[in-house]
Amino acid sequence: MLAEIAANLSLGLSVAASPEGFLFLVIGAFLGMIVGLFPGFGPAAGIAVLIPMTFGLTPTIAIIMLAGIYYGSMYGGTITSILINTPGESATVASTIDGYPLAQKGRAGPALVMQAIASFFGGTIGVILITALAPSLANFAASFGPSEYFLIIAVGLLMLTTMMGDNKFKGFISALIGFAIGTVGVDVMSGQQRYTFGSAELIGGVYFVAVAIGLFGIGELLHCILNGQHRQPAKRLRVSFRDKEFWPNKQDYYESRWTFWRGSAIGFIAGVLPGSGATLGSIIGYSVEKKVAKDPEKFGKGEMRGLVAPEAANNAASAGAMVPLLSLGIPGSGATAVLLGAFLMWGLQPGPLLIVNDPEFVWGLIASMYLGNMILIAMSIFAIPLFVKFLDIPYVNVVPVIVLLCIIGAYAINASIIETWILVLSGLVGFAMKSYGYSPAATVLALVLGSMAEETFLQTYIISQGTMNLFWQRPVSLVLSIILLTIIIVPIAMTLLKKKDRANVGNA
Amino acid sequence: MKKWFAAGLLVLAVGYTLYGINTLTLLTSSGRPAAGFFPLVIGVLMVISCAINLWGDWREEQEQVRSGVVPSHQADPETEAKADALGVDAHGIDGGQAFGRDVFIVFIYICAMVAIMKPVGAFLAMVIFMLVFLFTFNRKQVISNVIYSIALPAFLYGLFKILLNASLPTSPFGF
Repeated sequence: MLAEIAANLSLGLSVAASPEGFLFLVIGAFLGMIVGLFPGFGPAAGIAVLIPMTFGLTPTIAIIMLAGIYYGSMYGGTITSILINTPGESATVASTIDGYPLAQKGRAGPALVMQAIASFFGGTIGVILITALAPSLANFAASFGPSEYFLIIAVGLLMLTTMMGDNKFKGFISALIGFAIGTVGVDVMSGQQRYTFGSAELIGGVYFVAVAIGLFGIGELLHCILNGQHRQPAKRLRVSFRDKEFWPNKQDYYESRWTFWRGSAIGFIAGVLPGSGATLGSIIGYSVEKKVAKDPEKFGKGEMRGLVAPEAANNAASAGAMVPLLSLGIPGSGATAVLLGAFLMWGLQPGPLLIVNDPEFVWGLIASMYLGNMILIAMSIFAIPLFVKFLDIPYVNVVPVIVLLCIIGAYAINASIIETWILVLSGLVGFAMKSYGYSPAATVLALVLGSMAEETFLQTYIISQGTMNLFWQRPVSLVLSIILLTIIIVPIAMTLLKKKDRANVGNA
Repeated sequence: MKKWFAAGLLVLAVGYTLYGINTLTLLTSSGRPAAGFFPLVIGVLMVISCAINLWGDWREEQEQVRSGVVPSHQADPETEAKADALGVDAHGIDGGQAFGRDVFIVFIYICAMVAIMKPVGAFLAMVIFMLVFLFTFNRKQVISNVIYSIALPAFLYGLFKILLNASLPTSPFGF
């Protein structure tokens, strides 16, 4: 087993450490840091916009670069969370809670170093677990039938929506919108056109990259403008790693020694579960760390563990989200949904057989994540003054870069002005969704998985001759069906119980 | 606006469902689900959930009117809802002013850029967008605005058109 893993990793390293692989890994990691740095341009949008730039590359090198953007953004997003109380992307919102108070206390340097170490720790633990788990899961998943796949998709999307608290209904609607957009085009089973309105451009369906760039790129950008980001002056900040106060002290390391492990474990599990992703992973990591602490009152006031936990968690989660993507072909978050789209664009067939059919690709990608984390920790510490310099650029000058990249990127893919208009419309919808508590990530996830969900649902229906008994006759399906029912029933029961409690209190 | 967005979604959901019912085959002659089956399931779920959602948003608005308490502007409602569900307070970044008018202006500029991209070419459309945008929101920096408005489009045009050989609309002048 270990010998097999070592052989696979050495195959992967021969791809990732080749001059071309290494160069594009560094470019991807650097771009990821910048993508994370600027609010309004998260990893999903970053990957989607930069897909056209990878056209001249081989699929493996292209995906290595795009994956570098994905996990690199987790490192970069925290810099602004700590320094200016503005998370670069949603997975670093939890890092703001203690990161910014640390900076206010004059401990920005130690906070930045500790976040880099926590990110490296979480990211590396995550990749080690991918190395161990992805092949086994792929082997296990090789026996999955349509009922299992349909249930995994349903569980993932339901988890994503139910974890949205008061907005869970809006999350559910967001997923349905994605499914609805996914039905546009020719039905693969019957060949009948659906919702094409006679347009030849819609026969192939609504191209997901344009929708993803619109929802995540233009939508988030407009939301940042609503928040007044473009009206704020440039933040002239200076951080130097030569300062004595820049480095964390022994107490920081000592107090956080278990936090690194806890955050990484929680983040990885959250990442592996379809529908959770890095945002939820980091929030759960923070929440658990506060609950297990003997001094929870310190959290929110500049506690190093409150920064280390979400940072280890979001990086481990970004690695964990690659497990279902590589072994099942099912993405767990908006960003991995866009990566899945990139896989399909490059002609790769995601699923359990990907590891068998394209070992160079899968192991090259995994090996690149080990190298990428090493590059990123070096960048995050020694190039911090450079990245902080980027914050000197006023946001009003960043807006046109994002707009032009989105529009030119969307047009360049198929030279289609209709797709460019779809991007603009998706941008407006994404803005409204973001502003009113809907989930653009659920929409993209459902859009990417829509055809798979429909196909597997119909296959289950046909195989079971309309009885759908495959959902409880196969052991894995039965477990997934129970989880699905639990996700649906528990929140309803909790709401009813709360109402009853309130009524009892009112009567008393 | 929240209520109107929810209402818009409900209208679209009803339209999607009715159009599907009228144009798609629901079941094959052998009684199996056909092309319209899945859209119908999605459509019905959307209509029901969008109607409940609209009802909830309408009630929330009525409650706000009654109590006179307007909730603070949220910086990231989706993430904050997730944090709330886990008992984590992530509202430290809330409460700022909302710049709805600026959103409208930028969106119009974006639409205008896409509209003129074919007739005037991608490069000129980018230059015009940048000039108009920067002279709306960053009026004081005249020279740097002009330089930036030419340099960035030139870089992106060179990158996509020349280096990546992407197909971009060209103007009658050939760029």
